[in-house]
Amino acid sequence: MSLLANRFEPNVLTHSLDWLVNWARKSSPWPMTFGLACCAIEMMATGASRFDLDRLGAGVFRPSPRQSDVMIVAGTVTEKMAPRIKTLYDQMPDPKWVIAMGACAISGGPFYYDGYHVVKGVDLVIPVDVYVPGCPPTPEALIYGVLTLQAQIEKSTLAKRPEG
Amino acid sequence: MRDYLTTLVWGLKSICVSLWVTLRYLFTPAITVQYPDEKRVQPLRTLNRHVLTVDTLTGTLKCTACNLCAVVCPTRCIELTGQGKGKERRADTFFIDHNLCMYCNLCVEVCPFDAITMWTRIGELSAYTRSGLVYDQPTMTATTFYPSPTTPERPAGVPAAVGGK
Repeated sequence: MSLLANRFEPNVLTHSLDWLVNWARKSSPWPMTFGLACCAIEMMATGASRFDLDRLGAGVFRPSPRQSDVMIVAGTVTEKMAPRIKTLYDQMPDPKWVIAMGACAISGGPFYYDGYHVVKGVDLVIPVDVYVPGCPPTPEALIYGVLTLQAQIEKSTLAKRPEG
Repeated sequence: MRDYLTTLVWGLKSICVSLWVTLRYLFTPAITVQYPDEKRVQPLRTLNRHVLTVDTLTGTLKCTACNLCAVVCPTRCIELTGQGKGKERRADTFFIDHNLCMYCNLCVEVCPFDAITMWTRIGELSAYTRSGLVYDQPTMTATTFYPSPTTPERPAGVPAAVGGK
């Protein structure tokens, strides 16, 4: 796709292809099994039968970065973990998205002012698409974050973007 | 040979038992909450996004900008300024950074005027940017809200409890 991206003016072909590709991508954002702290408990609850992320196609937690599309960074990102996150993110194939789940992953949270060992936001390490606040977020909040991500995936296009 | 057959029979039996458990769950009603269409009934004291309450008599914010919530906040996510002197003092700007907030309810408990509550059932917050999660005073001001669980609002006409406010 990257060979074709950004080379055509918007027309009926790119629009139809966008629709098909975005439908496929948003219907199966497979997350990576990536729990760092207590937010991972809520992430597990979201994947389990009560809330069932599989209804959105996002419940197939993959143990390998090469098979996953979405990295749900759930928990405190310590200085020691940050290089590993970067490595795992680089190993994921394009297109890839990142959800920062919980206050710690978004900005360091309770450790923002006093923590010496916490990265002040995972977006300093990898680009983040959707921020889901909470400490930890409820399963509903995470599902809402996945829905927000799907809305964002729908907007991506193959055609040239207008200047500016 | 005899051991082998015994192991085989017990293995088959264990498979039958496990599949019987699976089969039983097949006929129980599904417990999945179909979230975007159907909302779960949240527990009574669920803490969600803050709301600044409005005095229904005067129509102004109850917040008097005493700064107690900003001081007590463990993550220092509240910033506010006030205007006016004495009893006329009201919050001018009020920002809560939900990137930092850890939903501990301390700001609600410390507030002497019930000016802020977290019992709002607004749990779904997501944004594409970090600045989209910093809520200002017009966004958080609400005339309808659930009463705070720690300092419940009394219905009109009910006298205050002894020692209560």
